[in-house]
Amino acid sequence: MKKILLVLLIAFSFSACEKDDICTEETTPRLILEFYDISNPANTKNVVSLKVKGSGAFDDLDLGVFSGESKIKLPLNPTATTTKYSLILNSANTTLANEDFIEFNYTTQTVYVSRACGYKTTYQLNNQDGVVQSNAASPDVPWIQNLTIQTNSITTENETHIKVYF
Amino acid sequence: MKHISKFTSSTILVLLSFLSMAQEQNTTVKDSIKKDSIVPKKERYGLRVGVDLFKLTRSFYEKDYRGLELVGDYRLTRRHYLAAEIGNEDKTVDDDRVNFTTKGTYIKVGFDYNAYQNWGNMENMIYVGLRYGVSSFSQTLNSYLLYNPYPYFGQATEVTSGEPFNGLSAQWIEVVTGVKTQIFNNFYLGFSFRLNRLLSQKKPDTFDNLYIPGFNRTYNGNFGVGFNYTVSYFIPLYKATVKAKKTAAKKQQK
Repeated sequence: MKKILLVLLIAFSFSACEKDDICTEETTPRLILEFYDISNPANTKNVVSLKVKGSGAFDDLDLGVFSGESKIKLPLNPTATTTKYSLILNSANTTLANEDFIEFNYTTQTVYVSRACGYKTTYQLNNQDGVVQSNAASPDVPWIQNLTIQTNSITTENETHIKVYF
Repeated sequence: MKHISKFTSSTILVLLSFLSMAQEQNTTVKDSIKKDSIVPKKERYGLRVGVDLFKLTRSFYEKDYRGLELVGDYRLTRRHYLAAEIGNEDKTVDDDRVNFTTKGTYIKVGFDYNAYQNWGNMENMIYVGLRYGVSSFSQTLNSYLLYNPYPYFGQATEVTSGEPFNGLSAQWIEVVTGVKTQIFNNFYLGFSFRLNRLLSQKKPDTFDNLYIPGFNRTYNGNFGVGFNYTVSYFIPLYKATVKAKKTAAKKQQK
């Protein structure tokens, strides 16, 4: 009897260790922007000191300054249906700096992932105004010359969602 | 320990009796057939019904749990019992990322094989068995958290849902091992440990079956564990003489 009880106790203590307590699955995706050369649209083009900031960001923080990259990942606001980003190209140089705004309009979906992750949010860009570009209130011309939506549904970070030509 | 030593010693005794039997047989061929000097042993057959004390007491001390399990077995042969459990559970699980309530009814049907050689008029069991379990249940997602690895716009807050998921079901098999001991006249205390293997389940579209009544939680893939602690009452229906293996041996000789 005691032996059986001991075996049961051991079995129960092990059952408490769960392998899937840590979320490892892909959850809420970010929006992937890829930059292309307007004069040679098949080629990607690296940005130079691109300062990215979302309006309404937590603690008013910058997302970051990107250099020598052609792909950036923008988190969307899961509790809203619109997210506006300010993209300042050549932000290191005060005379060359050029600020453009792009606004994403979308609907959100809640998708179950797992016990460890709970739920995630996926986004569906609106067909009409999925992405809207505007220029900052400065006399310069917009540096973004064209925007194309590659896919309206933002469910993973494995693909480019929007191509930006400049 | 006492049981185990009794078990081993009794099996040894049984084996020894076979040895002597083989010797006896040679003599009985020559001699006239003697009448059995041992009084034939009679064993009781009947229905045993009970309740799982663990689920019952847990309903009192755990506010998020309410459950009842009735158990029963019927003695078919000397060692085989038809066994079943029927139960109902209502459990709220408060996990890190989801909080949900599962309600449902289950039934498990199968058999037990008593591996214990009783002495005298003892009617104890050390058994192994198999069950087939079916559960029909519903879930309510009370609240959840949205997982956002890049909380640039602030951490997600808990979302209150209350969304119901009805018409869910699951089927599984259980390997059971346990003991049943007569504590006093016709009353038995039992303890069993179960390993479950999920066969199929009907999941909700936008959620998962994290807890299945009767099966228990489903976090470890398709495997689960369970146990019960029962008190049951034996209703004797008839008595049958224990068929000694000697009669079979005698028949062979004739």
